[in-house]
Amino acid sequence: MMNVTLKVNGETRTASVPAETTLLKLLRESFNLTGAKLGCDVGDCGACTVIVDGLPVNSCLMLVNQADGREVLTIEGLASTDRLHPLQKVFEDFGSLQCGFCGPGIIMSAKALLDDNPSPTVPEIRDALGGNLCRCTGYAKMIEAILSAAGARETADKSA
Amino acid sequence: MEKKTTVAEKNRLETLLQDDGVVQTPAMGPLVTYPLEIVVPEVRHQTPAVGQRATRPDCRLHGLGQTKYIDDMTFPGMLYARIKRAGIASARIKSIDTSEAEAMPGVVAVITGRDIPCNSFGPSLKDQPVLADTRVFHAGDGVAAVAAVTEQIANDALLKIKVEYEALTPVLDPLESLKLETPGVHAPSANIYGSKVIKKGDVAKGFAESDHIFEGHFRTQMVEHVPLEPHSTIAMWDANGRLSIYSTLGRITLGRADVARTLGIPMSRIRMIATIVGGNFGGKNEITTEPVLALLSKKTGRPVKGTFTRSEEFIASTTRHPLIMDYKTGVTKEGKILARKVRLVLDGGAYCSWSETTLGKACILSAGPYNIENLHAEAFVVYTNKTMTGAMRGFGAPQVCFAYESHMDDIATALNIDPLDIRLLNAFDEGSLSPTGQTLQSVVVRESLLRAAERFGWHAKSNASDGAGAGAIVASKTTKGNGVRS
Repeated sequence: MMNVTLKVNGETRTASVPAETTLLKLLRESFNLTGAKLGCDVGDCGACTVIVDGLPVNSCLMLVNQADGREVLTIEGLASTDRLHPLQKVFEDFGSLQCGFCGPGIIMSAKALLDDNPSPTVPEIRDALGGNLCRCTGYAKMIEAILSAAGARETADKSA
Repeated sequence: MEKKTTVAEKNRLETLLQDDGVVQTPAMGPLVTYPLEIVVPEVRHQTPAVGQRATRPDCRLHGLGQTKYIDDMTFPGMLYARIKRAGIASARIKSIDTSEAEAMPGVVAVITGRDIPCNSFGPSLKDQPVLADTRVFHAGDGVAAVAAVTEQIANDALLKIKVEYEALTPVLDPLESLKLETPGVHAPSANIYGSKVIKKGDVAKGFAESDHIFEGHFRTQMVEHVPLEPHSTIAMWDANGRLSIYSTLGRITLGRADVARTLGIPMSRIRMIATIVGGNFGGKNEITTEPVLALLSKKTGRPVKGTFTRSEEFIASTTRHPLIMDYKTGVTKEGKILARKVRLVLDGGAYCSWSETTLGKACILSAGPYNIENLHAEAFVVYTNKTMTGAMRGFGAPQVCFAYESHMDDIATALNIDPLDIRLLNAFDEGSLSPTGQTLQSVVVRESLLRAAERFGWHAKSNASDGAGAGAIVASKTTKGNGVRS
């Protein structure tokens, strides 16, 4: 067993878990944050994507000791109590999710992209979603939604 | 913002820790509440549908990460189940020794096929064992199941189960399997377990009158549905003999009947609870390990969760039928089809599953959306010692569409006819008869083709003879001709 302390969605959390525990298992089983999903467990599908120190990460491939002391943002940390995150809003408005299983991972990848590149092109969005698989939607409405969120942010920045 | 752990939560946690020592504890994080504006659809209010963007009422929870799929649920004292897969395509099971696994700390129960009251199921033919007990029919067959306090211990326990096999020669090629002298996968029965023949007009006469006869041979591969959410089930057998199953099944009423039959208990004692499914595509249409988890729960008195690994999704769930398709078509020099002969061989894998539905649909649609006076289509589905095939979007329609449209392109190229024109010449009209004699209504093949050709500039492209346009025509046929939509 090993003790880990990390910041999850702004809160300092600690846990004592077996050393082979992945960040995904830690989030899901110790912290009950089940938004990140286990889809393939080998880093192919991206359903487990969370943001660690600003970068999107396949949490199924990160062991807890690699996450120790770092800052993790999960899908549960995006919305505030009174409003959706702009990406969650556009994904809802555009009907971008069908079964929804890939959704949290895709939204986290999109968030990491927009944090780094506020006005991405379609190829840049496609590239950012390269590590996230979706079997329902064909991605088109997700890309539209991300473009729209980026556009809205740009407009807001200009008017501010 | 520090979250306080309530006294009740602390007590619950301590109780759980006493139970299992290292067991992971559920529900210690902050309870997420979002007092967000709720979208209430207007009832009895007709809204325009065409041209509108469809939004889904479940989209909000999906986006918040708050949708609870089965793997997101935990129950106090819950155990984790794992299935040992055979890893050999065809074999006789000589012995299974589970004693070492059972002795492992943290392992609560182990079962094998002998523990299943009625060890067979299937949507049509009951040819699939829940856990293989005497014979292994494909490498993904389960041979034993373990319930343990953690998934890791269950995985480790699988390695301690010793199975002795007598390897048998597997049948892997569907054309080989078709031959009567090939040993039966499910001996003593022959390997052909379903067939369909459609006859219309006089094929010999049609070929005799044709100016040209073309032959084409096509194959498609096995395709897995790959839902992002792997199959997952939680079974709870209570002390009153009632069974609750949370399942990713898309057809819970059918699953309930299968579970009742395999366990030998009345359906009234089983409650199947469907949750939100993380992708189905036809792959979650029948039970998989539900009876196994139920028995593990009965044996241990605890809730038992079993989730497929991604590898199990590929080897132990159903897939799309690979087809071997032979086409022979007689045409006039103008390209009008006078006769067509089709033979389809479906590789059914180890079990029947939804093969009969797939066989029928593939055979009926195999001639394509074309008026063909003289037709002979025959289809066979055979067993092989491979992962079973079953329902998947379109039930055989995409495979034959690939074949008849490729064949059509080959004919057009050979006769130097525009691929669009040869289709317009042969396409179904309003009131055309289908291969099985059904009068077709609302037929828009011709209009769809013309409109599509106009939209993407077919004639400009075909003049440039770059081949890109041909692909587009075929794609439009796939959706319009057969209604295959994901």
